[in-house]
Amino acid sequence: MPKSLHYPLANRDSLPRWRKQLLQRLPFEPVSAETYQVHYYDSFDWRLFRANKVLQWKQRNDESLLCLHSTAIEGPRTVMPLDGQPSGFASALPPGQIREELDGLLGLRALLPVVTTEIRSLPFHWIDKEGKTRLRVFLDHHKLIDADGNRRTLGKEIRVVPLQGYAKTAKRVTSVLEEELGLSPADGDLISQALAGADATPGGYSSKLDIPLDPQMRADEAMRRVLLTLLEAMEVNEAGTIANLDTEFLHDFRVAVRRTRSALGQMKTVFSPATLARFRDKFAWLGAITGPTRDLDVYLLKFEGYQNQLPETLRADLEPLRAFLVRHHEEEQAKLARELQTARYRQLKKQWRRYLTAPLPRRPAAADARKTIGEVAPQRTWRMYKRVLREGRAITEQSPADDLHELRKSCKKLRYLMEFFHRLYPAKKIRALIKELKGLQENLGDFQDLDVQIHKLKEFSEQMKQEGDMTPRTALAMESLLMGLETRMQEVRAVFDSRFRRFSCKSNEKHFRRLFHPSQV
Amino acid sequence: MKVIACYNIKGGVGKTASAVNLSYLSAREGHSTLVWDLDPQGASSFYFRVKPKVKGGARGLFKRKRELDDAIKATDYDQLDLIPADFSYRNLDLTLEQLRKSTTRLRKLIKPMKSDYDYLFLDCPPNISLVSENVFQAADVVLVPTIPTTLSIRTLYQLLRFCDKRSYRHLKIMPFFSMVDRRKILHRGMVEDPPKTKSGFLANDIPYASEVEQMGVKRAPLAAYAHSSHIADAYRSLWKEVKSRMDGVPA
Repeated sequence: MPKSLHYPLANRDSLPRWRKQLLQRLPFEPVSAETYQVHYYDSFDWRLFRANKVLQWKQRNDESLLCLHSTAIEGPRTVMPLDGQPSGFASALPPGQIREELDGLLGLRALLPVVTTEIRSLPFHWIDKEGKTRLRVFLDHHKLIDADGNRRTLGKEIRVVPLQGYAKTAKRVTSVLEEELGLSPADGDLISQALAGADATPGGYSSKLDIPLDPQMRADEAMRRVLLTLLEAMEVNEAGTIANLDTEFLHDFRVAVRRTRSALGQMKTVFSPATLARFRDKFAWLGAITGPTRDLDVYLLKFEGYQNQLPETLRADLEPLRAFLVRHHEEEQAKLARELQTARYRQLKKQWRRYLTAPLPRRPAAADARKTIGEVAPQRTWRMYKRVLREGRAITEQSPADDLHELRKSCKKLRYLMEFFHRLYPAKKIRALIKELKGLQENLGDFQDLDVQIHKLKEFSEQMKQEGDMTPRTALAMESLLMGLETRMQEVRAVFDSRFRRFSCKSNEKHFRRLFHPSQV
Repeated sequence: MKVIACYNIKGGVGKTASAVNLSYLSAREGHSTLVWDLDPQGASSFYFRVKPKVKGGARGLFKRKRELDDAIKATDYDQLDLIPADFSYRNLDLTLEQLRKSTTRLRKLIKPMKSDYDYLFLDCPPNISLVSENVFQAADVVLVPTIPTTLSIRTLYQLLRFCDKRSYRHLKIMPFFSMVDRRKILHRGMVEDPPKTKSGFLANDIPYASEVEQMGVKRAPLAAYAHSSHIADAYRSLWKEVKSRMDGVPA
């Protein structure tokens, strides 16, 4: 398919004048003008943008189309008729290629509206004597519609749409535009202009941490920068968490809270004891109020997996569990939304921000505050690494699950320290070590997840009995599910030894030492 | 890409009308669709207002001297392209005969387009020849518009026997009644109690309607100018049934 060509015009140019120019020079037939809106969508974390895709929904004349195309070239695209605006998850769309593709790209994330533009278009067709269209030209005036419905000009352009098999006509038209009228084609990326106009930064949000730090920075200053980044991550995810747009808002919100708590604990020598005492409890509270909803999110996300674990005859019997989960999720979500709109939460954010942005104390009470971050961060990381080794080596086949949980927590703390300060180390080396750690964390994470699930499902089962939701068949299905989970847990436990051995091997130790404890190399 | 051939040994039974109208419906649903007008009479090219001319003619295409891509013309409708007819297609049999593996030439020629289009409709010339064999080798589905008369049914039997002998295992043959005039006793009787064939008949038929003849004046697919007509509905139902049969579910 030949590419469309875009010739930008000045914003003050009059379209009727251009229309006259075109009609004088080329044998176009004008077609009646039209105005239509284009709505753009992406996930909150820009998964489509990152995959070089654009999703738009157009309403034009009497048809509405959903169109997924690539940003890189104006070529491959998939279209399907769709009456209402797309909303929520890809799975809510009618079956077809677009749904499949979006499903793969979006995962757990919902589609959210990004920006809406309105196009006033004057079309012209080049029609041959058979009555066949050989080329289309549009004089387009693009406007951005903001949240209040106000319109603002984004740009004007002449858009030439050549048709396959009619290259000569296209050449004639472009030569008139370029040579006689002095226009030159641009890449016509009005979408990114629209996004910029709407204050949306494509790719502007990612749950990955990337905090620019200088090793010579004062440790307390560096920590404030880390914590401010985490506070911003919380705030960015707040509205989506309250509205429950998808499960990942709350997930990312909780990760930011957990990282904050971990930073306060692990870098405690950088903060004054009074500050620590003041904020530690506040963030613990935030962790506690967001927990129940996240737990239920997890069970609901896993639900289909649970069903598939069971023999087909038992699958339907698990449905009362889903109803139970959904009901409790609604209650917990409402509670959470209320908590995040309380003065208590607002105060927490305000005080925290005030602390993080206040001038640095000249004579700080904390022991390490004035040291450089290049000195403190590796020390703390090395300490945590040694703790992981110690705890891991103490684990035998007879060790209780609690020992593994403790090790898991230590691994998490180590991971956070490595991620907060990853800019202080050579990128390739720190990445490789994080990867090694990840391998161990996955095993420990699976083990913990299964352990918690087993306990929780037993608890749910009791609760369901009390609330009168339990039937003998459902009890049987849940029993069978639990047995499956227990087997799986044993399998995961059996792999721990080899995973830990790999992580704690001599060569890894050498690399950890080089990065975090160079004086002893 | 699914290849759907609109085919009948007899002429004037509604092959071109099916190819044009069904391909239009497919494109409107968002499927990238191509029509190849294989009939030298060039009726579907005419309906789409494209000149029935291919540079290099049939020989150029089948002897691979010209790229098939270069022969493709966009129609006036989004997602719907056409390879026009050419007068040289009248000698397509002779051209094919001179080539090795002469029955699978068409299949080979369209193979590179598999990723570009969701559906390819072949508007076939009436007769049973080497061209037809190429069509049967290349197609997944053969749609056979059949007028409910004795002679038409006879040609359908001929076709079924021909395909049986050559055992085209991949091929789904889907006859349906076309140009049905319910005022005629013969038509009514045959549609209500279709003759027994191995392939059976599709449940939906296309009635005789003057709107179809209007296509020649309007030079456009039916749904483009008579969207809510009874006959446009008939094509929509037929297309729905064809799609579900292709997926192996009876509609």
